Amino acid sequence: MKIIVCIKQVPDAKDVRLDPETNTLAREGVQSIMNPYDQHALEEAVRLKEQLGGEVTVLSMGPPQAEEVLRQAISCGADRGVLISDRAFAGADTWATSYTLAKAVNKIGDFDLILCGKQAIDGDTAQVGPGLAIQLEIPFITCIQKVREADEKHLVMERMMDDGYDVVSVQYPVLLTVVKDLNEPRVPSLKGKMKSKKAKIEMLTAADVGADAACIGLAGSPTQVVDVFPPPPRGERAILTGNIDEQVEQLVAKLATYL
Amino acid sequence: MLIVDKDLCVGCEVCVDNCAFGAITVIDGLAVVGDACTLCGACVDSCEVEALHIEGGEKSVQADLDSWSGVWVYCEFRAGLLAPVSLELLGIGRKLADARGVKLSAVLIGSDTGESAAKLIAHGADIVYRADNAALKYFTDETYGAVLTKLIQEHKPEVVLAGATAIGRSFIPGVANTLGAGLTADCTQLDIRADDGALLQTRPAFGGNIMATIVCPHSRPQMSTVRPNVMKALDTDASRSGELIDVDLEPAMLQAKVQVLESVISEHDDVNIQESDILVGGGRGLESEKGFDLIRELAKSLNGSVAASRAAVDSKWIGYPHQVGQTGKTVAPKLYIACGISGAIQHVAGMQSAETIVAINRDAEAPIFNVADFGIVGDLFEVLPKLISTIEGRQK
Ligand SMILES: Cc1cc2nc3c(=O)[nH]c(=O)nc-3n(C[C@H](O)[C@H](O)[C@H](O)COP(=O)(O)OP(=O)(O)OC[C@H]3O[C@@H](n4cnc5c(N)ncnc54)[C@H](O)[C@@H]3O)c2cc1C
Ligand SMILES: Cc1cc2nc3c(=O)[nH]c(=O)nc-3n(C[C@H](O)[C@H](O)[C@H](O)COP(=O)(O)OP(=O)(O)OC[C@H]3O[C@@H](n4cnc5c(N)ncnc54)[C@H](O)[C@@H]3O)c2cc1C
Repeated sequence: MKIIVCIKQVPDAKDVRLDPETNTLAREGVQSIMNPYDQHALEEAVRLKEQLGGEVTVLSMGPPQAEEVLRQAISCGADRGVLISDRAFAGADTWATSYTLAKAVNKIGDFDLILCGKQAIDGDTAQVGPGLAIQLEIPFITCIQKVREADEKHLVMERMMDDGYDVVSVQYPVLLTVVKDLNEPRVPSLKGKMKSKKAKIEMLTAADVGADAACIGLAGSPTQVVDVFPPPPRGERAILTGNIDEQVEQLVAKLATYL
Repeated sequence: MLIVDKDLCVGCEVCVDNCAFGAITVIDGLAVVGDACTLCGACVDSCEVEALHIEGGEKSVQADLDSWSGVWVYCEFRAGLLAPVSLELLGIGRKLADARGVKLSAVLIGSDTGESAAKLIAHGADIVYRADNAALKYFTDETYGAVLTKLIQEHKPEVVLAGATAIGRSFIPGVANTLGAGLTADCTQLDIRADDGALLQTRPAFGGNIMATIVCPHSRPQMSTVRPNVMKALDTDASRSGELIDVDLEPAMLQAKVQVLESVISEHDDVNIQESDILVGGGRGLESEKGFDLIRELAKSLNGSVAASRAAVDSKWIGYPHQVGQTGKTVAPKLYIACGISGAIQHVAGMQSAETIVAINRDAEAPIFNVADFGIVGDLFEVLPKLISTIEGRQK
C-alpha cells in the first residue's frame, strides 16, 4: 500500500483573535500546529500500513517552517516527508492549492490511497480534498468516520451525513477526507522522535513539479479576498440577578418568542 | 506577490495596522512582507502614498463572461425529503436574480422526488431542472457531480448556490474544480456588487474569528455553499408558475466507482443539528450520562435538538454528530442554550453566530458568558429542572 497524507500547518485556534480596534489578527505567541483533522488522517494511514504493509508519505504545501509538521508526522509513523514551498504559491485559493498538491503527488509517484483532513481550521473551506481528487482524476469520499474493512484491493467505510451515515465501498485509488471520530491519534514514540530528527524532508519548488505559472498562487485562483473584517459584535451580555427561581422566571420571559 | 515600492514607502505603519494576518513589519523605515501574507489587498487600499501593489496576479480573464446568465440553486433532496436549506437558498436566490434581472433556476437530483419540483416553484424558482432516476437514489459525488456539471456547462448560469451541508460541501467542491470555477465556502451573506454585478460572498474563517468577503471577478460561474439557517425562505405561493424540465441522463453519468451499500438514518436523536432553530448544548458540567439526560429533557420541552461540547462527546454521553465547534459542526440556530460548557474558543467557533445565546454555568468567570446574551450563574442540577418545569408550565 502506498499512502499519501496531506498535512497543513495551521495557527493554533486558541491563539487566534481579531483585535477589533486594529482589525488585525493577534499573532503574538501564536503557535503553529498540525491541522487537528490531519492528525486523524495520518493515524489512519499508519494503521493501514501496519495492517497491510507499505509506505506512508506526508505532503505539505506551505512556507519552509511547515517542515516541522512533517517531522512531527514522521515521529508518529510516517516514512517520508515532502514539502512543496515557493513564494509563487502565495495567495493560492483552494483551486490553486489543489492543483499544486496534485502536481506534487504526481512527482511523488504511484499511490493507492490519499488521505486528507475534512477541513483546515484556518481557511475552513473543506474544499482542497475533493479538488485534489478531481485534479488527479480519482474518486473521493468525504467525512469518513469509520473504516469497517480494509484489504489490498478495497475499503468498506462509513461516511458521516447530516442525518446519519452511509456505508460505502470503493477500490483503490481513492481520496478520503476524515473526521475526528475515525480514531484516536497516537503520541510519538521515542524511536519515532529519533527517526524524525534524522529524517530528510524532500523540498520541491514550483519548477520542480512543472507547475504552470498561470495555475498557481494568485494568478491561478478564481476567488479573490476583497475585504477582511471582524465579525459583528454581539449585543450587551446580561447576567440575570435574583435567586434561582427569579432568574429562571426572567429567562423564560426573555425567551418567550421561542416557546 | 505584494510589492513594496522602496522609493514611495515612508514607513508609516498604516499597512501594518490594516493587515489582518500580521504579515507586514516595518524594518529600517520600510515595509517588509512576511510569509503570512495572503495577498488579500487590504494594505494596498490603506496605503496613503500608494507604495504597495500586488504583482503576478495576471489572471487570464475568461473570454465569454457575459454569456453566463441566471442564478441557480442546487436543491438537496435525500431520503424523500427536500433539505430546508434548499428553500432558504431559493429565497436569497430570488433576491439575487431580481437584482440581476435574470431567471432563478432550481436543480433537483434524486429518485422519487414526487411533488418536490412544484414546491420549488412555489418557493420562488422560475425553472426546475429535474434529474429523477432510480440510480440517483443514493447520493454519490460522482453521479450528482456529473449531472450538475453537465447542466452548468450546457446552460451557463452566472451564479450557482448550494447548501453548506454534508452533501453540498462534498460534491460542490468537486464540481467547481472540474469547471475551474471559484467556490466560496459556508457563506453567511450574499450580495450583488452594484458597479459590475459581481457576487459578493461573505463568510467566516479562522473559526469565526474573522469575516472575509470574496469575489470571483474573472471566471464563471461564481459558486458558493451557504450555511443552513441563515437565509430566509419565501412563503409558499401556490399560484406561482414555473417551467419543469426533465434532464436527459446519459448512462455514463449514472455510474460511480463508489458504491453506497446502505444509508443509515439515525433514529433516536435528531442528529441534523445544523437545521434546528433551537439547540440545547451540554458540556462536562453535566457530570454523567444520566446528568446529560437533563439536556435532552430541556431540548424536548423547547422542541429543539441536543448539541454538545467535545468534552461531553469524548465522555460518550452523546455521539459525535452532536458536537459543536471547530472539530464538530458549525451551527446558527435562533436560540442556543449552553449548559455546563466553559466556552473554550474551539466550542464558541461553532455556535457564536446563533441569534440568541444563553449560558448556564456555576462559574461567573467562565468565558461562555462573554458571548452570551443572557446568563444564569448557578448550579445546573438546580437550574435545569426549574427551567424545564417553568417552560412546561407555560406551555400548558
Ligand atoms: C479569510 C480567508 C478566506 C478564504 N476563503 C476561501 C474560499 O471561500 N474559497 C477558496 O477557494 N479559498 C479560500 N481561501 C483560501 C484557502 O484558505 C487556501 O486556498 C488554503 O490554501 C486551502 O484552503 P483551506 O485552508 O480551507 O483547506 P481545506 O480545504 O479546509 O483543507 C482540507 C484538507 O486538505 C489538506 N490541505 C489543505 N491545504 C493544504 C496544504 N497547504 N498542504 C497540504 N495539505 C493541505 C489537508 O489535509 C486539510 O485537512 C480563503 C483564505 C482566507 C485567508
Ligand atoms: C484542536 C482542538 C479542537 C477542539 N475542537 C472542539 C470542538 O469542536 N468542540 C468543543 O466543544 N471543544 C473542542 N475542543 C476542546 C475545547 O478546547 C474544550 O476543552 C471543550 O470545549 C471543553 O468542554 P466543556 O466546556 O464541556 O468542559 P469544561 O471546559 O470542563 O467546562 C465545564 C464547565 O461546566 C461548569 N460546571 C461544572 N459543573 C457545573 C454545575 N454543577 N453547574 C453549572 N456549571 C457547572 C464549569 O464551571 C465549566 O465552566 C477542541 C480542542 C482542541 C485542542
